Amino acid sequence: MNTLDHQLLEAHSANDTAALVTLYAQAADQTDNINAACFYLTHAYVFALERGDEAADVLRERLAAHGREPLQD
Amino acid sequence: MDNATNINVVRRPIHEANGLPNAHYIDPSIFDEEKHAVLFSQWAGFGVGAQVPEIGDVVPQTFLGIPLLMLRDKTGKVRVFQNTCRHRGMILVEEPRKIEGAIRCPYHSWCYSTEGRLISTPHVGGPGQNTHEGIDRTLLGLIEIRSYVWMDIVWINISGDAPEFLDANGELVAQWADFDKPLFHGGENSTFQLALDCNWKLAVENYCESYHLPWIHPGLNSYSRLEDHYHIEVPEKYSGQGTWVYRQLKDDAGNTFPDFADIDEKWDTAAEYISVFPNVLMGVHRDHTFAIILTPEGPEKTIENIHLYYAEPKTDADLRAKNTEQWKLIFNEDIFVVEGMQRGRHAPQFDGGRFSPAMDGPTHLFHDWVASKLQIHRNTKMATK
Repeated sequence: MNTLDHQLLEAHSANDTAALVTLYAQAADQTDNINAACFYLTHAYVFALERGDEAADVLRERLAAHGREPLQD
Repeated sequence: MDNATNINVVRRPIHEANGLPNAHYIDPSIFDEEKHAVLFSQWAGFGVGAQVPEIGDVVPQTFLGIPLLMLRDKTGKVRVFQNTCRHRGMILVEEPRKIEGAIRCPYHSWCYSTEGRLISTPHVGGPGQNTHEGIDRTLLGLIEIRSYVWMDIVWINISGDAPEFLDANGELVAQWADFDKPLFHGGENSTFQLALDCNWKLAVENYCESYHLPWIHPGLNSYSRLEDHYHIEVPEKYSGQGTWVYRQLKDDAGNTFPDFADIDEKWDTAAEYISVFPNVLMGVHRDHTFAIILTPEGPEKTIENIHLYYAEPKTDADLRAKNTEQWKLIFNEDIFVVEGMQRGRHAPQFDGGRFSPAMDGPTHLFHDWVASKLQIHRNTKMATK
């Protein structure tokens, strides 16, 4: 298991949603596969929404750029 | 209908009427009928705004088996929703907490704003595809329950078709306009619960009449005699009692709670106690108010949720505690009565009882109100068969 996977599991276990936003965004940045990237971005976005994290706006824009999320909810 | 009880006799003039039959207190099928006819169809007390004092605060709470959540949205408005995700019906919120951003369903992470809008549907169109033409988010917001806040009580109308709150309760709002102003919950030492082994209606009935006071609350006799009380009767609306000799609580140094501002001089010595049908018992005084929200848990089980309020945000904690204890003592004195009447209703030949034409007007008014709502419900059911 690589370090990022391990960190994600730990963050899930601790319900550390701030870390989940950051780590899933990192996971998205580390893949060249657009579908995989959008999968990770979706998770980052959902946890950002739950937290009321400002990062949600940028994450949504990234998803919307690939047609995965409407620009306006 | 098979289980229909004879309620016509309840609606006769008080000197001829009997009370509601036993089945209305002990029969699960009648409890279920009244749930729809009397509790869901009206503005029922559900909670208080003080349970969600800050933006984002959310409290999950059932009402007659319905899982609901009460929250304070981002604009500060109290809202009540079904505590159920529109996707697979999962319970959304399990315990009181603060929502920082969105309500995320713990199952597939559909997310809702505090205004109830569905704002995220992750992977709904496949992995990483968060939209689908078959899923219109604008149609899938949380199911909102009609609600209204008055005197910090959160009233809900489950059926959604009751008249507007102020139309349904305009007389009472006008009667107590002096207290329709910011009320400040006394905090942790000003709220408590009592669990009663009785039908919820018995708590309403006992509360609205003064007839029992000299027998059940003898401590009041020294200054608040039966003859110092008056009936409050607004047919088809509410009933209760008032006193002309309210005496303020004092601490050892003689200090009292601050008065509400700009209230009529009547309140110098008057206090009123009203059963707001169906399930809220309220009291107002020059220096504090209280609300008892009855939560029916079954035909023979009721929870009383008591909250005390003051005119200013900062009052003396010890005096608040003393006031709470004083009311707790009085409300506890009523328990053996309501539980005794409950057990009495298992006597098959009890006929609902007779009313004192002079003293039981408020009680009969409530019975008549329940019977009238049941008649409407039964007639509607018959018409749709």
